[in-house]
Amino acid sequence: MCRVLIVDDEESVRAAIERRLKRDGLNVHAAAGESDAIEKIMGAEKPYDVVMTDMVMENPDSGLNVLKAAMEADIFTEVIILTAYGNIANAVESMKRGAFDYVEKNIPGIDVYDLMSIKIAQAIERRQSSMITVRRIDQFARTHEEG
Amino acid sequence: MKSYQNTLSQPELCLIRQISALASAASSLDELLQAILDKVIVSVDANRGFVALVDFDRGELLIKCSAGEGWDAEKMHQRLQLHASEQKGITTFVAATGKPHCTGDVSKDPYYIKYFDDVASELAVPIVDAYGRTRGVINVESPKKNAFLEHHEALLLALANIASLGFSIDDHRSRERAFVEIGTELAASPDIPVLLSRVIRVAAEVLRFEDCSVFLLDKDRHTLVLEASSSPLKDEVGDASYRLGEGLTGWIAEHGQPIRTTDPRNDPRWRGLYREVPTDDMAAYLGVPIESRDGIIGVLRVLRRKTRFPWFQHSFTTEDESVLASIASQVGSMVQNLRLMDRVVGAERMAAWGEMSARSAHMMGNRIFAIKGDLNELDYQLLQPEDNREDYRGLVESVRGGVSRLEEMLQEFRDFVLATQLSLLEQDTNQMVKESVKEFFPKRSKVRLEAIYTTDLPKVQADSGKLKRCFAELIENAVSFQLDGGLLRVSTGLAAAKEAQELCGLSPKRKYIKIEFSDAGPGVPDDDKEKIFNPFFTSRAKGMGLGLSIVKGIIEAHRGRICEAGTLGMGARFIIFLPATGL
Repeated sequence: MCRVLIVDDEESVRAAIERRLKRDGLNVHAAAGESDAIEKIMGAEKPYDVVMTDMVMENPDSGLNVLKAAMEADIFTEVIILTAYGNIANAVESMKRGAFDYVEKNIPGIDVYDLMSIKIAQAIERRQSSMITVRRIDQFARTHEEG
Repeated sequence: MKSYQNTLSQPELCLIRQISALASAASSLDELLQAILDKVIVSVDANRGFVALVDFDRGELLIKCSAGEGWDAEKMHQRLQLHASEQKGITTFVAATGKPHCTGDVSKDPYYIKYFDDVASELAVPIVDAYGRTRGVINVESPKKNAFLEHHEALLLALANIASLGFSIDDHRSRERAFVEIGTELAASPDIPVLLSRVIRVAAEVLRFEDCSVFLLDKDRHTLVLEASSSPLKDEVGDASYRLGEGLTGWIAEHGQPIRTTDPRNDPRWRGLYREVPTDDMAAYLGVPIESRDGIIGVLRVLRRKTRFPWFQHSFTTEDESVLASIASQVGSMVQNLRLMDRVVGAERMAAWGEMSARSAHMMGNRIFAIKGDLNELDYQLLQPEDNREDYRGLVESVRGGVSRLEEMLQEFRDFVLATQLSLLEQDTNQMVKESVKEFFPKRSKVRLEAIYTTDLPKVQADSGKLKRCFAELIENAVSFQLDGGLLRVSTGLAAAKEAQELCGLSPKRKYIKIEFSDAGPGVPDDDKEKIFNPFFTSRAKGMGLGLSIVKGIIEAHRGRICEAGTLGMGARFIIFLPATGL
C-alpha cells in the first residue's frame, strides 16, 4: 500500500485531506509542521512514496525545507507543494528543486480534493516507473559485471 | 556725521579709545552704556546724566542708565513720549530729530521741560544706528550756565558712535540667540502645527516681528494656505489662502524670490486679500519663500504697522530679510523632515493593515478549504448505495460550523477596518477612563477596584467611543481572569521622559498620556506578550469582546501604542500610551 505523508500546520486541513486520501486506499500519515515532518521523514522505516506539504508553516519556505529532507531520505520520493495563495516564483522554485507539482488550496470553483487525488495518483505512477528503471539499470549492471 | 576729532583733547581721545575697547569686551549693551555715561560725566564735568533708549513699539523713551545726583525711583521709571514740538523736552526732541542739541541756559530754551530743579546747561546727543534710526539719547546736565562747549559735544558724539556699535553687536547677539532657540525648538517639535507656532513665537519675541504669518502650499501645490499666524489673521488659520501667483505672497511662492517693500499697496502684484493690518496702517511688508529639497513649500511673511511719528523709519532692513530667510530655510527643512516622518508612520500603519489582511486571508483560506473538504465528502457519501443520514448530517453540521467560523473572521476583519476609522475630537483622558470604569466594571464583583487619576493632564485627540470600548475590553478581561476575586488597578498620568520609547518604541520627542490597567490574575507568559495582540490569537467565542487585536488597531490609529508589561504569575499589566496635544 502506498504511503503518503501530509504536512500542514492547520488541524482541520490535515483531517480533511487524510479523510479524502484514505478513501483512495492510501496509507496516510500526518505531520503538524516543518520540524515534525522532517522528524517523521528521517525516522521512517520505509521512505514515503509521496509527501504533500504546505509551503508556509514555521517559516515562509518551510515547504522547500520539507522537500529537501524528503529527497535526501529517498531521491525518488515525490513531493507535492500545497499553498493557500499561488505565486509563480514559488512554483518555479519548487519545480527547480525537484517537486513533482504545485497545488493551490483555494482556486475558486475547483474541487481541489479531486485534483489532489489525481496528482497523488500521478506521483505514485511516476515513482513506480522510476523504481522499475532503477531496477533495470541495476540488473543490467550486475549482468555485465558478471559477464 | 562730521568728524570732530581735531577739536578733542588728549584725555578725551584717550577716553574714546578706552570705550572703543570696551565696546567689544562688554558682556552687555547696558554695561557699555553705563560705562560711557559714568566716564563722560566726569570728563565734561556734568553733575548728572542719563541714557534713554527708544521703545519702538510704544513710541516712547525710557531711562536705561543714570548717573549723578538727585535720581529717585519715580524719575528713573519715567517714560517720555516722543515729540518734535516745543516744550516736550530736549531729550525727546533730540530723539525725534536725530540731531544733537546743546543749550547753555535752559530757561531760555523752547524745548526744555523741567525735570530737576538745578539744571542750567544741558547737552543731548542721539545714538543713531547703521540704518539711520535713533536708538537712544545720551544726556548730560550741569547747574552752571554755558557749561558745555563744542569739544564736549564732539566727545559725546564720538561716544554715541561707539554706543551705536554696541547696539549693532547687541542686535547680532539677539539674532544669534534667536537662531539657537529656533534651532532647538524646531528640532523638538513633534508635528507641523507645533513647529510653526514655535517659529512664530520666536519671530515675535526675539526678533520683534510681530505680525508674522506662515503659509504652506497644499498637496496639489496650487494654493497657499495660512497655517499659523501671530497677527489678527490667526482666526483664519486653515481658511485664508492665496492661489499660486496671486498677490505679493502668491508671487513669492511662484517665483521663489523675497519681496521687501514699504509701499505694498502700489506694487502691481498687490491684491490686498488678507491683511493682518489695515492697508493704510501698513508701513512695510517682508516675505520670503520657504524652501525644502522638494522645492518651494510656502511663504513666511511679516508686516509692520505705521507709527504715529512721520520721522520714524520702521521699514525692514536687508539684515531683517536675511534673518527671515535663514529662519525660513530652517522651517523648510524641518517641515520636510516631519512630512517624511508622517509618511513613515503612515507606512507603519499600512504595514499593520497588511499584516491583518494577510492573516485574515490565510485563516479564511484554510477555513474554506476545510468546508470544501466536507462538501467533497458529502458528494461522495451521496453516491454510496447505503443511506448514511447520520454521516450526511454530521457533514452538514461541520460545514455550518466552518461557515460560522468564517463569518467570525470576517467580523473581526471588519471590526479592524471600522476601528481604524476615527472621528477625532479633543478629549479628556480621565473623563473617558472614568466613564468606562463606571459603565463596564461590574456593579457587584469580587474584584477590588483601585483607581488613580492624575489631575490636569493635557488633552488628547481621540475618538471617545472607540477608546472607551478599548478600556472596556481591558476591564472585562481583567474581571474574567479573576472570577474568584482579585484586583483591578486603573491609573492615568503623564508618561515619564523615555518610558514610551523604552516600552513601546514611540518617539521620545513627544509627550504621552499613560493609561495603565493592571490586575492580580494569572498574567501573560513572556512568549505570548506580543502574540496576544495578533488577530485570531484566541477564539472570539465570548462574542461580546473586541479582541486585543482590535484594541491595538484602535490605539495605533490614534498614533499611540499598547503593550503588556506584567509578570507571569503576578498579573497582567496593560499600558496604553496616547499622544498629548499641545506639547
